[in-house]
Amino acid sequence: MRSQAMFFKARVGDKLADPVLQENLGKAKSKFVDARARAVAEYERDEGADFESLREAGRAIRNRTLANLDVWLETFEQKAGERGAQVKYARDGEEICRLVVEIARRHGVTKVVKSKSMLSEEAGLNKALAEAGIQPVETDLGEYILQINDNEPPSHIIAPAFHKSKEEVAELFTRTHGRPKKSGIEEMTREARETLRSHFLSAGMGISGGNFLIAETGSVTLVTNEGNGRMVTTMPKVHVVITGIEKVIPTLEDFATLMRLLPRSATGQHISNYVSVLTGVKRPEDLDGPEHLYFILVDNGRASLLGTEFQEMLRCIRCGACMNHCPVYQTVGGHAYGWVYPGPMGSVLTPLYTGIANALDLPHAATLCGQCSVVCPVKIPLPELLRGLREKQVDMDLRPKSERLALRLWGWVARRPSLYGLAAKLAVRYLNWLAEGRDRIPLLGIAPEWTKGRDFPAPQGRTFRELYAERRRREGR
Amino acid sequence: MRVGLFVTCLVDLMRPRIGFAALKLLEGAGCEVVVPEGQTCCGQPAYNAGDAATARGLALKVLDDFEGLDWVVAPSGSCGGQIVKAYPELLKDDPANHARALQLAARTRELTDFLVNVLKLEAVPGRFDGTVTYHDSCSGLRELGVKAQPRQLLARVPGLLLTEMGGCEECCGFGGTFSVKFGDISAQIAERKARNVQASGADAVVLGDLGCMLNIEGKLRRMGDENTRVLHVAEVLAGDA
Ligand code: SF4
Repeated sequence: MRSQAMFFKARVGDKLADPVLQENLGKAKSKFVDARARAVAEYERDEGADFESLREAGRAIRNRTLANLDVWLETFEQKAGERGAQVKYARDGEEICRLVVEIARRHGVTKVVKSKSMLSEEAGLNKALAEAGIQPVETDLGEYILQINDNEPPSHIIAPAFHKSKEEVAELFTRTHGRPKKSGIEEMTREARETLRSHFLSAGMGISGGNFLIAETGSVTLVTNEGNGRMVTTMPKVHVVITGIEKVIPTLEDFATLMRLLPRSATGQHISNYVSVLTGVKRPEDLDGPEHLYFILVDNGRASLLGTEFQEMLRCIRCGACMNHCPVYQTVGGHAYGWVYPGPMGSVLTPLYTGIANALDLPHAATLCGQCSVVCPVKIPLPELLRGLREKQVDMDLRPKSERLALRLWGWVARRPSLYGLAAKLAVRYLNWLAEGRDRIPLLGIAPEWTKGRDFPAPQGRTFRELYAERRRREGR
Repeated sequence: MRVGLFVTCLVDLMRPRIGFAALKLLEGAGCEVVVPEGQTCCGQPAYNAGDAATARGLALKVLDDFEGLDWVVAPSGSCGGQIVKAYPELLKDDPANHARALQLAARTRELTDFLVNVLKLEAVPGRFDGTVTYHDSCSGLRELGVKAQPRQLLARVPGLLLTEMGGCEECCGFGGTFSVKFGDISAQIAERKARNVQASGADAVVLGDLGCMLNIEGKLRRMGDENTRVLHVAEVLAGDA
């Protein structure tokens, strides 16, 4: 997917003015935030254990994996191979597309059913498949809605179409399916299901993502709520798993721990509706499963984070909690972020994967309130990573000259107390002059962005240092 | 006990009365309060803008300014957090100063945290007739664990009734330079906060950080709310509100 991250600021206005989006954001916020809080409280009550230790355990598992990523990947490759799967590596999006098209051609596939895969978004796989004459059909309801809406990009990593209202979807279905317009969610879901059913039956290949890869068994795990993942991975003859190299974890035991964190953090569920652990190709005694199984393990910038201050980001298990709890995401939604991943995790990943110079706004589009790192199930210090990226922008000379200069000048003055005291005194006088005797300034020329949407309170009158010096003199000290 | 008051640049500039309220509370509790004359700013604006060199320069200055004091107290969770969390990080490659930064971090407290956990203050001088709601500022809450302390102290103010608003731990949208880089988003987040404040029915929203204070007050007034007061916890506790 082509990144539009450079246009974050430019897109914000539209997003703030979009009433449907604003309403959906409001609903989603309370839904996700409250659900997670409830699930955490219930976990603590029912299990008599605290969620904090669980997060710590999740962090430790992911760190252990990342410390020896090559070893775990090799183990995975060997174990998966023993069960008849083929493991391939892709350096970038282009290579993902090439490999998938190759596999499809080898098996004479003309239609592919897909369940959610963020990597396929990173690669823009649907476009590549279509260009190769292979029809991709998204089967995750949200992804399906976006696909039939002219391949709209997702706006959330686990609820890709939540920016759409029920009415918009009803319109879209009527237009696409040519059936009478429905109004109930259940009816619409049934209609999508009926449409998708024929695709499941006629597709020659299924493509899925993978929540985790289990090294000790060579398995991939899928965590879903709709059941489409099971159809995609068992009905067609060929199954291709596309996932990032960082998704590997050592053992099934580790998976059990992470599964206590993932659904609770993502949707507030204790467990997702479907949890699949898929191992190898169909054996003679198996009732179903693919005859051919391929893993495409993708780098696309991940390996370059190893051993750097940004390695911690690779712990991410894609739960979406950070965006659900982010005040900025709650205000502008996912599309403004311009690439595959929105919210705090996206503001870290997009510059790292698509180039720091190509996403200058994102690391700054955060209040650094810290709520994301409080809810992250693997304790990624997102605000620190965002600040690290801000530092990188400064080091790489990517900030505007005026900003750099202003900061240095301010820093220089702030190290000279008498000069600083004078500057502060003058600033206060100036602000008070602007306030014209009122307690607020409605239009501030030096910070117009501030006064666009709120007033700037006027200073009290004189600086603390002036008043304190006066008091000391009065007291004769 | 010699306590250094870190006034903070925003209190100096915008609301000196909060500095005096802090002074009153600390002196009232029997501390010998020192206000180092040369202090300016903790350097957080530079730190958050990615200018580590400038931030480091100011960190070293604060280390010098507050040398030799038993405690350093700030009427701000944000500046307190900068000293406690960021200074050691900024100076990690400079062993001598890193050690000093760690020592300073260990001696630095946000005002209400200091009053409750170090001074074990029982009574406060203030009196307030009305209902207040408390906004938990992000850095104080999430970096320094300031949550129960201000509420405990407010509960001791005669006449004051505390009522919690919805989303009291949610960010007000200030975010330092974020508020002027992304004014639209910032103001919209502030509006959610302001609505929560209003919905609580409180006469005043009380908080512990100047950034949030200017942001929330600015938003309330722009929304035409002339009644809801926006007060720093120090003013309320000291009886200066
Ligand atoms: S960064 Fe943390 S909270 Fe955000 S999606 Fe990844 S695991 Fe979830």
